[in-house]
Amino acid sequence: MIKGVLLLLVMQAGGALLQQLCLPMLPGPVIGLLLLLVLLLVLGRIPQCLEQASAVLFQYLPLLLAVPATGILLGGDVLLAQLPAISGGLLLSLLFCIPLCGWMMQRLIAAETDDD
Amino acid sequence: MMTDPLLQVIHSPVIAIALTLAAFLCAVWLYRRSGWLVLQPVLVTMLIIIGGIRLLGLDYQAYREAVVPISWLLGPATVALAVPLYRNVRRIRQALWPVMLTLLVGGVAIVALTLLFARWLGADVPVLMTLATKSVTMPIAMPLAEQLGGIAALAAVLVMLTGVAGTAMLPPLLNLCGVQHPAARGMAYGMNAHAVGTARALEEGDECGAFAALAMGALGALTAVLLPLAFLLWHLLLD
Repeated sequence: MIKGVLLLLVMQAGGALLQQLCLPMLPGPVIGLLLLLVLLLVLGRIPQCLEQASAVLFQYLPLLLAVPATGILLGGDVLLAQLPAISGGLLLSLLFCIPLCGWMMQRLIAAETDDD
Repeated sequence: MMTDPLLQVIHSPVIAIALTLAAFLCAVWLYRRSGWLVLQPVLVTMLIIIGGIRLLGLDYQAYREAVVPISWLLGPATVALAVPLYRNVRRIRQALWPVMLTLLVGGVAIVALTLLFARWLGADVPVLMTLATKSVTMPIAMPLAEQLGGIAALAAVLVMLTGVAGTAMLPPLLNLCGVQHPAARGMAYGMNAHAVGTARALEEGDECGAFAALAMGALGALTAVLLPLAFLLWHLLLD
């Protein structure tokens, strides 16, 4: 478990370093994700310790995300001033794009498997 | 006043962390008991925490500093998404073309429709530039909004709103449209509701979670690179 967390932290630190050096537009943890993926591909398997650590982290992912979500408290002024336009734009686009993305992917996968 | 022991305890980090954990437990309990997908844990936890901050009269900045022991784990959790991605790497390789086409068409539709509806409803230009980034994960969205002439603080808010509202709307909408394939559901989760959607997709299963993580990461990277270019072209054509 601790070994798994340590591995995640090393990858995250590597990601942060790469971000500073050459990839300023991507966040460090996302680069760390790619580094870990490359490592797993080279390794050809998932170490037990990593399996445990990621399972625990995923179990509490909603808790970890809820903290930055409270930042809604800060953006109040502009948000309230243009609330109808913002919430309308947000909700209407979700209403169209959620079915579009899901439906399109499902159709394309079905078409692909038909070809084989 | 300063020496009031009760006040001192209320403003200590212990209470901030306890409030956060208690809010999460309540939210998970409510989610399981009700079985109602709209009450997803991120939304309810957030609302209970905000209520608690207001009720106890806590300073928001002090609250955020106190809960750093919880929130810093989001970094390693993001890196850990490589695990479901690796486990499904063969499925992803098989579905490479569907993934890329859906990312491109869906990604353009998400930005274009959001801007269109918001403009129609009367949003001004800084808000529009901020809205353009609303579907990508927060650390990408904030600097990107700034670069486009939007408002970084507002970007963080819009990203969270999209994640929370999107994750509430996703399961019923996908069910309604007959989207059953875990990969297709995962793509819709990751593209429309980034990390919050990915957390929910992982609940549905490993394949769904893997495609959500892939969609979130790839859409984030694509948006970071292509959106500034698109706006540059737009300005060149207009001027």
